[in-house]
Amino acid sequence: MIQQHKNCVAMLLAGGQGSRLGILTRHVAKPAVPFGGKYRIIDFPLSNCANSGIDTVGVLTQYKPLELNSYIGSGAPWDMDISNGGVFVLPPYSRGDEGEWYKGTANAIYQNLAFIKQFNPNYVLILSGDHIYKCDYAEMVAFHVSHNAALTVAVREVPWEDASRFGIMNTDSENNITEFEEKPKNPKSNKASMGVYVFSWDKLRSYLEADEANPESQNDFGKNIIPTMLAAGEKLVAWTFDGYWKDVGTVESLWDANMDLLMTPPPVDLHDRNWRIYARNVGEPPHYASPKGEIKDSLVTEGCEVFGKVSHSILSADVHIEEGAEIIDSVIMPHAVIKSGAVIRRAIVAEGAVVGEGAVIGEEEGKIAVVGSNTVVSPGYVLKAGGQLGE
Amino acid sequence: MKQDIVGLIYTGERADELQDLTRYRAAAALPMAGRYRLIDFILSNMIHSGIKNIGIIMQKNYHSLMDHLGSGREWNLHGKRSGLTILPPYVSHDKVGVYEGMLDALQTNQAFLRRSVERNIAVSDSNVLYQVDYTDVVKKHLENKADITLLYTKDRDVRRNGRGRYLQVANDLVTGIEFDPIIPHYENTFIGGFVARREVLIDLVDRAVASGKHHFSRNLLAEMVAGGIFRVGAYECPGKVYAVDSVQSFFQTNMAFLNQEFRDQAFNDEKPVWTKLRDEMPARYGDHALVSNTLVADGCLIDGTVENSILFRGVVVKPGAVIRNSIVMQDAVISRNAEIENCILDKQVTVREDVRLIAPKSYPLVVAKNLTI
Repeated sequence: MIQQHKNCVAMLLAGGQGSRLGILTRHVAKPAVPFGGKYRIIDFPLSNCANSGIDTVGVLTQYKPLELNSYIGSGAPWDMDISNGGVFVLPPYSRGDEGEWYKGTANAIYQNLAFIKQFNPNYVLILSGDHIYKCDYAEMVAFHVSHNAALTVAVREVPWEDASRFGIMNTDSENNITEFEEKPKNPKSNKASMGVYVFSWDKLRSYLEADEANPESQNDFGKNIIPTMLAAGEKLVAWTFDGYWKDVGTVESLWDANMDLLMTPPPVDLHDRNWRIYARNVGEPPHYASPKGEIKDSLVTEGCEVFGKVSHSILSADVHIEEGAEIIDSVIMPHAVIKSGAVIRRAIVAEGAVVGEGAVIGEEEGKIAVVGSNTVVSPGYVLKAGGQLGE
Repeated sequence: MKQDIVGLIYTGERADELQDLTRYRAAAALPMAGRYRLIDFILSNMIHSGIKNIGIIMQKNYHSLMDHLGSGREWNLHGKRSGLTILPPYVSHDKVGVYEGMLDALQTNQAFLRRSVERNIAVSDSNVLYQVDYTDVVKKHLENKADITLLYTKDRDVRRNGRGRYLQVANDLVTGIEFDPIIPHYENTFIGGFVARREVLIDLVDRAVASGKHHFSRNLLAEMVAGGIFRVGAYECPGKVYAVDSVQSFFQTNMAFLNQEFRDQAFNDEKPVWTKLRDEMPARYGDHALVSNTLVADGCLIDGTVENSILFRGVVVKPGAVIRNSIVMQDAVISRNAEIENCILDKQVTVREDVRLIAPKSYPLVVAKNLTI
């Protein structure tokens, strides 16, 4: 089939296991983890694409892809159910006697060069499936074009004291990247890579092919492709993103990013009608707030029935809070049930979990407690701060 | 099993007692239960009965209904083997472009009736809210060897003095029918839905129109019941039934959704009610929010007091504002220290600071779309 030529095709890396999210990613890939009441993490990069005018996206999956596949479906929620482009789920596949898992970020794209080639794009945007942010990729592509770059790396300026935890781009006064340092002890710059790249298509193809031919390579963009391109004297530029951006790769950061939605004003405004974050519709009625309950400073999604007390928390679609239950500083994911008298504090309760009568999950201080998906917590059970319960 | 029923929804009901609520919309497009339109319940009900082809007869003010339905995608009616057919009135050699009643509409749209391949047809009015499985109705219809089977309810809340269609039923057959009686004698109310063999309906419509009749129930049904030649079946619709034909009944029907039992009837997890999407964020409660016995749609920003009310998508309730016993439609704004009680605020109404709008419980006040008070 001949595909229409596209200016820019996005490739979304969604194959990571997300092991730092513990039991939250035991049954689903990280990008499919629920976020902010009615979203999944992947809604952010996909909606950014839709809002940036990018209508062709390859989603590279590998780990536990079923839920992600069915969530993406035809791509209709992001206006990507179109005949000349759209969203494509790209698992690793066998090629004659070859065929292998994705070995690294660069290898994942390498294995799908044929997919990109169908659209013969000018530029390829590489995205991650585990970031919460609103970003106009069209601006980044325009920056790439005006700087005549081979590769543009999105960076954000992090506090200097944190810079040694990131992959840092050292630049000259004209935003040219002169050096890349992974977690430098003595950082020379505070421009941290966001793992978002714009490549000129011909450069991407030739460097990926060369990288694949090198048996020493770990096939990673940060570790291999960027240093190789720098050494070859290619023009690499840094594009600074100054909006809210959060990597939600850990339980604590996922909880933090959810709580950020409750700030006034929220740093990432989901109410912005000019930059909507789209999500697959759950088909639930409006939520019901009972006279027996109390809801303060919270986000409550359609389908919820609230008979208990909820403060500074996020209730996702179809959550039931029984009378006498109390939810404080917590994230309750879709279809969970919190039975009467249970107290949830600084915790994440995953999809479909049932917390029994009088159970106590989490504590006022300390790490976030997690109840895994579809876990049934027995009445009166106590889960300490930082504890994880579930299959 | 392949479903063998085509659906048809008539949206041309009189709507004069709905005041400003139907000035710009058909009764079928009336906002309902926080995020729906009335027609969503009928449509979803047909879809959950396995009906895949549905025609919608439009009469007047159908812009908002068309906008709402779009391609039918949200109801999964946009496939090759399924579909939504919009049937607006049109001017032709012998028509002036307005249907003179359901019979006229059926006659004008006989192409739709003839072109359908399903053997049975389910027809429904759009100003009622009920749940029934049409598969069961058709099954009963065939067992009963009826020519047409009418849906009825014994629910007394839908009875109106001086109006309505009431049935005498014996052994699942209609034996008597009365129209707009001052005081109804029969205890069963016809709810405006029926099933028939498609070929039989085409034939009935042809004959009725040929003899100059326009009113489906008043002319056609009445004669069928009285004549004794036809078998008019009756099927009791289970559960609560609401008729939305006045401001009061509109208010009452919306408020019914605050009742857990009715919510469970209307919103079955297995059978979601589909509607047009808006991609709103979850509702945001502030520190001053005091919300009780209220249905709240996504996109609301609530920092005031709300009791016994229905808030549609994107409603803003500022600190100090009080909403009691009211229906507040999409994107309305209740400013600081404003107070409303027993009101129906249409879309995009703004109630300014310190304004008080208190209506009597028996006569809710309708504030028309886009007004600022």
